[in-house]
Amino acid sequence: MWKQVNEALTEATRRVITGVANILPGMLALVLAVLGSCVVAAILKWLVERSLRGINFDARLEQWGLSALAEWSPAKSPTRLAGRVVAWATILLGLLVGLGALEAGLASQLVMQVFNYLPNAFAALVLLFFGSLVARYLARGVLIGAVNMQMQSARLLSLGVKWLVLVLTAAMALEHLRIGGDIVKLAFSILFGGIVLALALAVGLGSKEMVSRTWEKQSKESSKDAEGSFHHF
Amino acid sequence: MAESGVLAESTQERLAALGAMDLVAGIPSYNNAGTIAHTGDAIRSGLAAHFGSLRCLIVNADGGSADGTPAKLREAVSGDGLLQLPYSVKPADQLSGPHAGVTGKTSALRAILNAANTLGAKACVIFEPDVTSITPDWVPAMARPVLEKQFDFVAPDHVRHKFDGTINKSIVYPLTRALYGKRIRQPIGGDFGFSSKLMAHYLAQDAWSQDMGTFGVEIWLVTQAICGRFRICQARLGPKVRETADAAHDLSGVLVQVLGPLFQAMERDVAFWQRARGSEPVPVFGAAEEVSGEAAAIDVQKMIDSYRLGYQNLLEVWGLVLSPATLLELKRIARADANYFRMPDEVWVRTIYDYALAYRLRVIHREHLLRALTPLYLGWLASFLLEMREADQAEVDRRLERFCLAYESSKPYLISRWRWPENFNP
Repeated sequence: MWKQVNEALTEATRRVITGVANILPGMLALVLAVLGSCVVAAILKWLVERSLRGINFDARLEQWGLSALAEWSPAKSPTRLAGRVVAWATILLGLLVGLGALEAGLASQLVMQVFNYLPNAFAALVLLFFGSLVARYLARGVLIGAVNMQMQSARLLSLGVKWLVLVLTAAMALEHLRIGGDIVKLAFSILFGGIVLALALAVGLGSKEMVSRTWEKQSKESSKDAEGSFHHF
Repeated sequence: MAESGVLAESTQERLAALGAMDLVAGIPSYNNAGTIAHTGDAIRSGLAAHFGSLRCLIVNADGGSADGTPAKLREAVSGDGLLQLPYSVKPADQLSGPHAGVTGKTSALRAILNAANTLGAKACVIFEPDVTSITPDWVPAMARPVLEKQFDFVAPDHVRHKFDGTINKSIVYPLTRALYGKRIRQPIGGDFGFSSKLMAHYLAQDAWSQDMGTFGVEIWLVTQAICGRFRICQARLGPKVRETADAAHDLSGVLVQVLGPLFQAMERDVAFWQRARGSEPVPVFGAAEEVSGEAAAIDVQKMIDSYRLGYQNLLEVWGLVLSPATLLELKRIARADANYFRMPDEVWVRTIYDYALAYRLRVIHREHLLRALTPLYLGWLASFLLEMREADQAEVDRRLERFCLAYESSKPYLISRWRWPENFNP
């Protein structure tokens, strides 16, 4: 019996050692991949931050109207944020490569899924970036135009335009990320339709008299301007 | 396809057949059927009455008017004294809203200058097509300084009411004077007189290949004449009354059209204006005319309200452009009682200089930047109108002279900011 026990133990030990021996190169490759990616990440982070500081990225971003990005950034510096994003993306890539080296079926499947998902995530990020640019541009244009038209609710109008574009952008980004599915579409349709309906009702019913008075006033003023024209130029 | 404004071969043949000319009078036009006949008639009469012994020609460059402008002009100016040239207007310009001045003026002026140069004209005078107050006397007033006094560039000096042309008074004249050192009271007056030497100089430049816009090409013409050190003078003309109402309804649009090219000229001529110091008077010919008529009714309170609304809402834009000290002053002005509403000269001058730099650095989208100046301009205007409401023309002129000197004395601030923009962080 002791012989059988000994054989069982030997067999189990052999199996474990074989298993460990089989997985060890993969583990080593994983550790090496992670360590290597950490080194590459540090170098890339340094390069990115140095390049962005060279072009005064933080100040430029503020000029482009993306000052809100600074609020979310470490030490209120979008340059640092960009450096960290690049670093973590590199480490994540290294981890995925390492997991692939394990040759575990599940790990490989995970890697493939992540890689398949990357284009969607990238597209969503691009959408969000350009969406916020467009939102800021339109909001500023509306604000300036409304102030020049002497509209008291200029800021409200500008905020409305900004959030409308941002909500539209967010809905498009979520669609790309395949998060929420039809719920996002439905929620957006309800929200957008609701805003339009509310505005239509407000203008059509609630503010009917106010709107007519405003139009009347504007038409009187424009005819008055045309009669007694002041020559700015 | 040839560039717009470049003469076609057939046109050159027609010009060769006409032979040499002494004086060319140019009229750029685009849908000006209502006034072109009067303009053409005044110019024809002016040429006949004052330059009968010279070989003269009226050259009309038309951008394809749909209202029969060329035919109206032909009716008014019959005979061999008229040459009509086409120039093309971009479809985008055709579709866009009403322009201040002639649409596609760059190409129109190029065509006229090309024709005058080909004809070997000693002088070329150009008049706008939509001015109902033009008289035959305007022709000798603009042409004689070139033909008889050897000047190269003649700028108009139209009689204006003391409160007319406030964009010119508050920005264009004092800024060009401080930058380029020449006291040309109406740098973009729309009418011009050129010598053959200056025409050849203009035509040799590369700038024609792009559409500079109505005010852009006028600013380019005057600044080129100054930077090229040509002999410049001014001609006193009567009041300028246009058929089309002033573009006051879109004030911010006018500011974009005027200030954009002006700030671009600053970028282009930086080497010249940074060396220019002070300013010198430019000779003026012709008798001074009294201003007649009453000023248009002006609602100053509305301007003050616009300024205050701008201050409430546009601080985030102004904060990117103006210095903290200027912003503090603007806050004080916004809170002032309407009767004591005054904008100090230095505040306004630094605002314009800061704006010029922000335009150069593209701090924000350029059109947004210039449109955001509108409430500030209305604030300056309200201050000026309140200060000068009881003043006569002479007093207003003295006040404007002090204002221009404020531009000149603050020029080191502009130069310093222009050279070291990073040293200043608003």
